[in-house]
Amino acid sequence: MLDAFSRAAVAADASGSFIGGDKLSALKAFVADGNKRLDAVKSISTSASCIVTDSVAGMICENTGLTAPGGNCYTNRRMAACLRDGEIVLRYVSYALLAGDASVLQDRCLNGLKETYAALGVPTGSAARAVAIMKACAVAHITGTNKRFGDTANNNLLDQGTSKDPAGCQSLASEASGYFDTVVSAIS
Amino acid sequence: MKSTITTVIAAADNAARFPSASDLESVRGSMERAAARMEAADKLAANYDAVAQEAVDAVYATNPNGNLGRQPRACAVEGKDKCKRDFVHYLRLINYALVTGGTGPLDEMAINGAKEVYGALSIDTATYVYGLNKLRNRGCAPRDMSSQALSEYNAALDYVANSLG
Repeated sequence: MLDAFSRAAVAADASGSFIGGDKLSALKAFVADGNKRLDAVKSISTSASCIVTDSVAGMICENTGLTAPGGNCYTNRRMAACLRDGEIVLRYVSYALLAGDASVLQDRCLNGLKETYAALGVPTGSAARAVAIMKACAVAHITGTNKRFGDTANNNLLDQGTSKDPAGCQSLASEASGYFDTVVSAIS
Repeated sequence: MKSTITTVIAAADNAARFPSASDLESVRGSMERAAARMEAADKLAANYDAVAQEAVDAVYATNPNGNLGRQPRACAVEGKDKCKRDFVHYLRLINYALVTGGTGPLDEMAINGAKEVYGALSIDTATYVYGLNKLRNRGCAPRDMSSQALSEYNAALDYVANSLG
């Protein structure tokens, strides 16, 4: 497993060079925006069950055949398995976001997932759709735009955190989007 | 590779939980120290050649024949070059360790198997320890880097020296 720092070390080691100058400035920026990153991770992990449930429910609403007899979420056992998988994916995305590197997601979650789903007969199209909803949901939480229409109170977690700059979370939101996209392309 | 963040993630993953508040707090603690570590890494990246030369000079001032465990070398220049190469290698890994905030790079790329290699080549590790201690004692807080950066740098040097001892 690598994070942004050890990724830089591995890259520098390949050429036997020291980490300094430009390469170090990128990491300094990572540290400078560290609180934003922690807030983003926090906003996902504290709303995890909400994000997962919404995405699975959304997937089923769009395709109600899933919960009908013969569907892949028919029976509570399979629905529970679906929710569990959604939570696992979101958990590894939160790790990747914390580390600033996708290696933990790739190594521990996505590697072999497509084959596993194929063997178990999980419809990857539906799974990918759930992940896409999860992405939209997580981005809304990270950027603090997850308010009800007309809700003026700043009751989202970001505003309670140390970073007061929702626009500054845009880069983290797009980084998180990238991790969700990685999940989608790995299973479809 | 082991660093503060990956250690925290591995622990969270073992418990199958999302990063908790205390996980985030420990990452934050590490990021607060990161500025000092990076200052040290930056200085080291810019001056490693001179630093390594200093260690080599110190080693050869005490042991004119280089490694104590060897016969006097006919070609002192070659020995010096290899000695410097090794110090540069250690400094480079110390640079990585300062950047990652963990001992992972040192453990994985230098310390694991070091005893066996030096034993097989009959190199006396005390020579390296001597040079590293010289660097350890030479650092001066406001002159070379800030005192916090220096303590991070010294901790890394100590870690290497202890592993060789």
